[in-house]
Amino acid sequence: MHIKHLSLTNFRNYGRLELPLPAGAVVLQGNNAQGKTNLLEAVYYLATSRSPQAGSDQQLINWTAAESGEPIIVGRINAQVETQTGGRIIEMRLIRERNEGRHRPYSFRREAVVNRRTVRLMDLLGNVRVVLFLPQDIQLITGSPSGRRRYMDTVLCQMDKRYCRDLSHYNKALEQRNALLRQLAEGTGRRDTLPIFTDKVVELGSRLFVRRASFMYELGREAQRIHYEHLTSGNESIRLHYLPRLQENGLNRGGTVSQLTALSDFLYKNEMDAGVVGEYFQSIMQATLSADLARGITSTGPHRDDWMIEINGRDLSYFGSRGQQRSGILSLKLAEIDWVTTQTNDPPVLLLDEVAAELDGQRRALLLEYVKHAAQALLTATDSDQFPNDFMDRATLLTVANGRVR
Amino acid sequence: MATAVLPQPVQNLINELARLPGIGPKSAARLTFFLLRDGSNQALELADALRDLKERTRFCSVCFNITENDPCQICDDDERDQELLCVVEEPLDMLALERSRAYNGRYHILHGAISPVEGIGPEDLKVDELIHRVQNGSFRELILATNPTLEGESTALYLKRILAGNDIRITGLARGLSVGGDLEYTDEITLGRALDGRSDL
Repeated sequence: MHIKHLSLTNFRNYGRLELPLPAGAVVLQGNNAQGKTNLLEAVYYLATSRSPQAGSDQQLINWTAAESGEPIIVGRINAQVETQTGGRIIEMRLIRERNEGRHRPYSFRREAVVNRRTVRLMDLLGNVRVVLFLPQDIQLITGSPSGRRRYMDTVLCQMDKRYCRDLSHYNKALEQRNALLRQLAEGTGRRDTLPIFTDKVVELGSRLFVRRASFMYELGREAQRIHYEHLTSGNESIRLHYLPRLQENGLNRGGTVSQLTALSDFLYKNEMDAGVVGEYFQSIMQATLSADLARGITSTGPHRDDWMIEINGRDLSYFGSRGQQRSGILSLKLAEIDWVTTQTNDPPVLLLDEVAAELDGQRRALLLEYVKHAAQALLTATDSDQFPNDFMDRATLLTVANGRVR
Repeated sequence: MATAVLPQPVQNLINELARLPGIGPKSAARLTFFLLRDGSNQALELADALRDLKERTRFCSVCFNITENDPCQICDDDERDQELLCVVEEPLDMLALERSRAYNGRYHILHGAISPVEGIGPEDLKVDELIHRVQNGSFRELILATNPTLEGESTALYLKRILAGNDIRITGLARGLSVGGDLEYTDEITLGRALDGRSDL
């Protein structure tokens, strides 16, 4: 798939932008703080309904417009998308309205539109699919488990609306169960309602476990092929371990390989039978019940999942060199491209933010090979000299300066 | 120097209106001055309506609907099926079911759904009253018509659990396609539920 036309209104530093885009590689060149990354962010936001940056969605609205004092400000991201199955127009609106006489001066809401029809936010997902490369992707290895869970969720939500719905219902059920556990810990609340919320957490959580296990298994297989054959010429093996929080004391990274894989294998094998997984999850919930009651929080479940990468049998976050970590992440992200393509029969749009400058040698060559063959890739760079001449010969070069693109 | 202040009755009404949901101080002031200037009896009619609202309505002691007479019209109606009981969250849900003209049994209004996040448990709802009604009545079927939200479904599951031993059929409303809708525009989750609950033609 590719984006034929991108239109922005009051988004970040863009007051108004109409940008026709060709298929293939598009290099967005410009100095810092001119709005290159904001273009990638707009496309990413349209695909995932979240920003890769932390911070509130309200900050996406153009600052000048937000300060204008108008009672209603609408930020808009609109794209014409061409896919294997036809074209569509998708739009996300960010609406900030002034409240009269309230303690909160503004209210903020979002609206999703597909082919000029207003839809639920969830129905926007999957209309354009992207794979994002950021210099800080390496934090997936070194950073917190919550970032690694967000990675699984963002990829899966683009592909699978049912997963997305289950995830949002799971979070609500978990919130209710935790609120009840806190009340019980304080001596209020009714104990006989706890099984209801436990059952909901188990039912929805089992589906998340199973979906994540099969995703991580397939992603790991693609990553190994890329890493072993193409990136290290047979020198390094990469393994992706999904670490479901589906046991009393939690898996830790120091476990042996068989310990690490036993649970994710169990989930993968029972992919078609959420009932078996549900029964097991329920038994773990019963085993941790007294601890949950004492602490007032649900200690097991997909909300505490993690995953890790091993290279040649060693945990990449502890033992890997910086270069190995970069290679590991690159294999993972390239595997994501192949996985999305296989699943949908339609290659995703690639978004690469200042990534070429970070990589060298074989890593950079392999990445550019993927970019060259992509249906569409948007790359930012402070200087197009960062790319080899034969690459630039086939790419489209656009210059971004102060919220304008030429 | 004396500063201009609003007369106390005007300020009182502004304060009272501003406590209502959806009305801020500015709207409250606007409404107050509208009523103040109005030449007809509108303000007094509104006052009477408000007084009647509190003085002439109460909960039905059987089903907990809001009513003028206790028991309410529906509970008092012998023409209705006495063995069919439909449980809803709010009085407005009951009115929606009545508009369907498809139901001819009795009701029980819970006045909410279980939601620990909002601090609402079974003891805050008309659950004990429901148990009492079921145990002392001769119902053959209980229809749990709570909302298809997490809270509504959890409430239904809870009720099913505690009423299970009562030799009574417990059912829930079907989930699925809306009448006059379009298959093509139905989301896949609703469609999946509709397939699961398909029925013989």
